[in-house]
Amino acid sequence: MTRLGDIVRGVRRSDRGAYWFILPYVIFFCAFVAYPLIFSLILVFNRWNIVTPMEWIGLKNFDRLIGDVLFYRSLLNTLTFLLIHIPLQVAVALALALLLNTGVRGRGLFRAIYFLPVVVSGVAVTILWQQIYSFDEGILNNILHAAGLPSVPWLVDPRVAMPSIAIMATWKNVGIYIVLFLVGLQNIPRELYEAASLDGARPFKQFLYVTLPMLNPTIVVIVVLSTIGGFSLFIEPYVLTGGGPMQSTLSGMLYIYNQAFSFGHMGYAATLGFVYALVILGVVVLQRRVIESEIPS
Amino acid sequence: MDVTPSLRRSAFAALSALALLPACARHEAAGPAGSPGVVLTYWPAPNPQEILLADTLVALWNRLHPEIRVDMQPIPVSISTEEVLLAAIAGKTTPDVCSNIWPGALHDYTQAGGLVRLDDFPDFDSLMSRRTPRELLERFRVGDGHFYEVPWKTNPVMMFCNMRLLREAGVEGVPATYGEYLAAGKKVVSHKYAGAAQAVWMGDRDVRPIWWQRLFDFYPFYIAASGGRTLFTGGIPSFGDSAAAEVFAFFRECYANKYFPRTFFQGGDPFLLEKKATHFSGPWEVASIRKFAPQMEFAVGHVPVPDDHRGPVYTYGDYKNISIFSTTKHPKEAWEFVKFLVTAEHDLLLLSICDQIPVRGDLLENPLFAQYFRANPAMAEFARQAVYTRGMDDAPDLKEIFDGIAQEYEACAVYGRVTPVRAISDALGRTTLIVEWNR
Repeated sequence: MTRLGDIVRGVRRSDRGAYWFILPYVIFFCAFVAYPLIFSLILVFNRWNIVTPMEWIGLKNFDRLIGDVLFYRSLLNTLTFLLIHIPLQVAVALALALLLNTGVRGRGLFRAIYFLPVVVSGVAVTILWQQIYSFDEGILNNILHAAGLPSVPWLVDPRVAMPSIAIMATWKNVGIYIVLFLVGLQNIPRELYEAASLDGARPFKQFLYVTLPMLNPTIVVIVVLSTIGGFSLFIEPYVLTGGGPMQSTLSGMLYIYNQAFSFGHMGYAATLGFVYALVILGVVVLQRRVIESEIPS
Repeated sequence: MDVTPSLRRSAFAALSALALLPACARHEAAGPAGSPGVVLTYWPAPNPQEILLADTLVALWNRLHPEIRVDMQPIPVSISTEEVLLAAIAGKTTPDVCSNIWPGALHDYTQAGGLVRLDDFPDFDSLMSRRTPRELLERFRVGDGHFYEVPWKTNPVMMFCNMRLLREAGVEGVPATYGEYLAAGKKVVSHKYAGAAQAVWMGDRDVRPIWWQRLFDFYPFYIAASGGRTLFTGGIPSFGDSAAAEVFAFFRECYANKYFPRTFFQGGDPFLLEKKATHFSGPWEVASIRKFAPQMEFAVGHVPVPDDHRGPVYTYGDYKNISIFSTTKHPKEAWEFVKFLVTAEHDLLLLSICDQIPVRGDLLENPLFAQYFRANPAMAEFARQAVYTRGMDDAPDLKEIFDGIAQEYEACAVYGRVTPVRAISDALGRTTLIVEWNR
């Protein structure tokens, strides 16, 4: 108490106003970040279903996790999603950003159209895609029928379901990455293109040896953001497939959610959450190292 | 302005008292002569029919009992009633009475000390013995030997048949066994509908691994095939028998032969759109058919059973019961209201407004209900079946257990990746692990 008092007294009078300004964030941080984090750490060693008292079970949650095949399956599914989603996301966003950067007419309108899905609620977008992917009455299958082609089981075939979700997630998020690429493209000095042109580089070579290396920092940001976003894959499988078919779209987040809120295993879900966070950290660190060594800036 | 501390304290106390007044008023209602009365909160299921029934019954009660006012509020809409009730128990915001208690979730509620023991009321036994057959009632006794719910209504899962589609395909009558059903399925899908853009199916089930979907296929079929057994015997998972494997094998054939589609429909209910010949559902379906497909010629039969089945055919009853929550300040008054909800006259209202079956032993003998069943012969089928129903085991984690069964159902029946015997053995293994884990 004396120490705290000393600290408070030690704060210069002129700085006290600043502390009042940061107080709302400190309160927010304590209530919504620090407290839940500490509470979930306590949960890791307990069994608790919200309504009954907590029961201390030591490391039993970790014991269960080690033998939990479904958790490994959900990790594998999430990685599969990332493998499809991230290259698709980067390629589509970059292609559209390059087009928008050419000074095409109505650029502002296109930018707004591409950005629109980002601001629409995830559930609304998913319900819209449910109509597109529906096997019996879906827009895509109606088009295929009209062309004399058979229906595709977009969401009910274990091999097709996760790519279908990856396409949808790309459509939903591409707008924000287009904006990031556009910023990156507009920051590339024109002189580099002029010099390359004088050296006889055609547009494709200019793209390969000027644009791409100069966009490296942007690509790193986009890949990291897409990875972290991809690990949070939840709404799409929750609404569209419930994790099926054959657990092929059971993402890590969906599995954690099921354990916590469908089955009431708060302690186990917290354990899964911590392990999942470590996996994300590992993947992101690895990814950064690989990208930075592959594309030197 | 200079305000003294004592004045500040007085002002704060006065404001606090004002703020608390509405909360106090919630449980104190004026009686007939202005004497303090009691206010109870009642949560029915949030579907339009049950809200109408609750409105009717509550208005009647409030007229007859001005000293005990009941406020009706449908259960807040969410993914499931069980989640809402668990959240309410955790937050201590439960109502006094709720009439949408799923027995499968009772274990969680009682473990949390959320419910009032009903057999402590002196007239519990006499009320129950008048209304519910003893053998059936005993199934609602929980592990501690007490009753926490009044069995209110049951929705036996049965098979609806579109008789026109069956007849056109050359099928006479309602298929009763697996053999008859599969033979009918072959005729229906190979009839003139085959190859059409919008085919007619023998049946369909939502193929997504959603735990409660298995309450409308695997679970009633298992109860039927096993002669009335549920998942547990004496607290131990016991469904790893040949009956369960036969059920999986039956559905596997339905999917493998394309009698069922490997999808879920979104362009409306395919049974009401007459795109499938059979449908497994509860009595509420009768009202839907009346409303959305009045032209449909339909019949109701028990769910198909193995060809060598003998004896009565049981099914899953999908019970919804009435409980009093332990947050109530007026348990006696709440119990009086519960008794009011389950009188014979009000059970008739449950039938006529909601098309759901009261858990009564005298449904088909009591003259009070005779006119209703004469006018609704399909509902009489459900009333006959109601005697042969089973509910849920008093076990923890039923949702997770059904989730495990749903995963195996999908792997074996829908996609044919695992044999029925292996799938059932895996489901049983997973269930045993879940039970062990939670012990």
